[in-house]
Amino acid sequence: MKEELFVSGRNIPNIDPYLNIWHWQIPGYLFLGGLAAGILFFASFFTIMGKENKMEATVKKAPMIVPFVLMLGLFFLFLDLKHKLYFWQLYTTIRLESPMGWGSWVLMIITPISILWSASYMKEVFPKWDWKFKILNTIEAWLIKNRKIIAWPMAIYAVILGIYTGILLSAFNARPLWNTSILGPLFLVSGMSTAAAVIMLMSKDHKERKIMGRIDILLIIVELFFIIHLFMGFLAGSEAQINAANLFLGGKFTTPFFAFVVILGLIFPLIIEIFELKGFKVPIIVPAVLILLGGLIFRFLMVEAGQITRYLY
Amino acid sequence: MKLVKLQDTSTDAGCGFRVTGFISQLETRNKKHFQTIKNRTMKNSKYDGSFYLNPYLGGVILGTVLLLSFYISGRGLGASGAVKNTVAATVNAVAPQHVQNSAYYCQFAGGDKTPMNNWLIYEVLGVLAGAFISGIIFNRLKLKVEHSPKITSRRRLIFALAGGLVFGFGAQLARGCTSGAALSGMAVLSLGGYITMVAIFGTAFVVAWILRKNWI
Repeated sequence: MKEELFVSGRNIPNIDPYLNIWHWQIPGYLFLGGLAAGILFFASFFTIMGKENKMEATVKKAPMIVPFVLMLGLFFLFLDLKHKLYFWQLYTTIRLESPMGWGSWVLMIITPISILWSASYMKEVFPKWDWKFKILNTIEAWLIKNRKIIAWPMAIYAVILGIYTGILLSAFNARPLWNTSILGPLFLVSGMSTAAAVIMLMSKDHKERKIMGRIDILLIIVELFFIIHLFMGFLAGSEAQINAANLFLGGKFTTPFFAFVVILGLIFPLIIEIFELKGFKVPIIVPAVLILLGGLIFRFLMVEAGQITRYLY
Repeated sequence: MKLVKLQDTSTDAGCGFRVTGFISQLETRNKKHFQTIKNRTMKNSKYDGSFYLNPYLGGVILGTVLLLSFYISGRGLGASGAVKNTVAATVNAVAPQHVQNSAYYCQFAGGDKTPMNNWLIYEVLGVLAGAFISGIIFNRLKLKVEHSPKITSRRRLIFALAGGLVFGFGAQLARGCTSGAALSGMAVLSLGGYITMVAIFGTAFVVAWILRKNWI
């Protein structure tokens, strides 16, 4: 049994010495938010580039799941609230210094955009679809005409949402593991990588899969670099941050982190995707599912470990 | 994934091989690249279309893996231990009371023990990943049951299950399987390792002759 003596003026249950307030809902939402952000970014990016007919799964099919992904994520956030019936106060209380306030507004904007985007492609993805009311058909016609204009704010808000999933943690400077600005880009890249995996799973077009595979390879390499950079930063930091990093470099999170996130969730899919690009026959479901699982486990570990780390000694 | 069967007309016409639709697309776009893939798969192809590494080279690589395993992790290789720990963890999850009362299970699970946080579990995950990459390289990633043309897939699966059960039982009696007891044991000159090896292969020699009709 490990015991630790500690003398402190602060002993607040569930906050000091260990934070114990964020459970499965938060990493679950961070995963879904990153996934949705990635899919919406790719959809708007290829629309802006004028490739919507060459990248059908990316622009048309994959965004169909995004409203559901976002709503599920929002539901997770709702479950996390202590006073659930007062959730609407996040929208009546404007506080620039509140990460949750920022997140609420980003979600408030991007969820309707994603619904409108999916609606504009409903008839193309489901040919038998009928909107029934004339007004809905008029709106649809307007949306179809203005897709490129919608794509711009969608791309920008997708990036904000992707970065926000990391910022939610890194805005919380009181925990050493989260006190690093690299979490924003890291979570964005990781979310985009999971999105590329979902698109590859949904796509039936070899050319499209190849393009997404290439993008994913790049994203995984960047993500690995960010992870190395994350620990470099910690190890060059204060004693509290070195301790935080040591949870992953020999401590209790080492095996799950390196086995399931770094090796099985990043390096192994990377190798498989490089083989596929070289022309070898690969069932795409394997790297895609591993990337998704790796992304999910990564968020669980970061949230769990971050709550354990502390400055207070 | 769409499978296209191509016949090689230039060399051996009877030796067909499978490539993906993607590779066939490459054929038109990049003939040279396609030719290298074709040559590589042809070189390793056997009559049944499966491709494997040279067994002698494979043996040397396996020995090197064992050596590296001792050097890096300080542990020998193993396989049945991972299955055993998974079984123990499952039993512990379903019926913890039974684990506590069982002299066998309580060695591995129950209490503070973490059977799934074990070197062998991660090693087996690595084996699966490595085997998958090997399957990609030698172009044999396909769901199939390998069996003699004289028997059915069902018969093969039943015999495989029966053999696996007997082997798993035996491995627990011997406290290790071919990898854990025989291979790793012999590598450290353990007498038990040699006896296990002789027993496993000696029995296999006899039983293989009795059951030979399943293969030849």
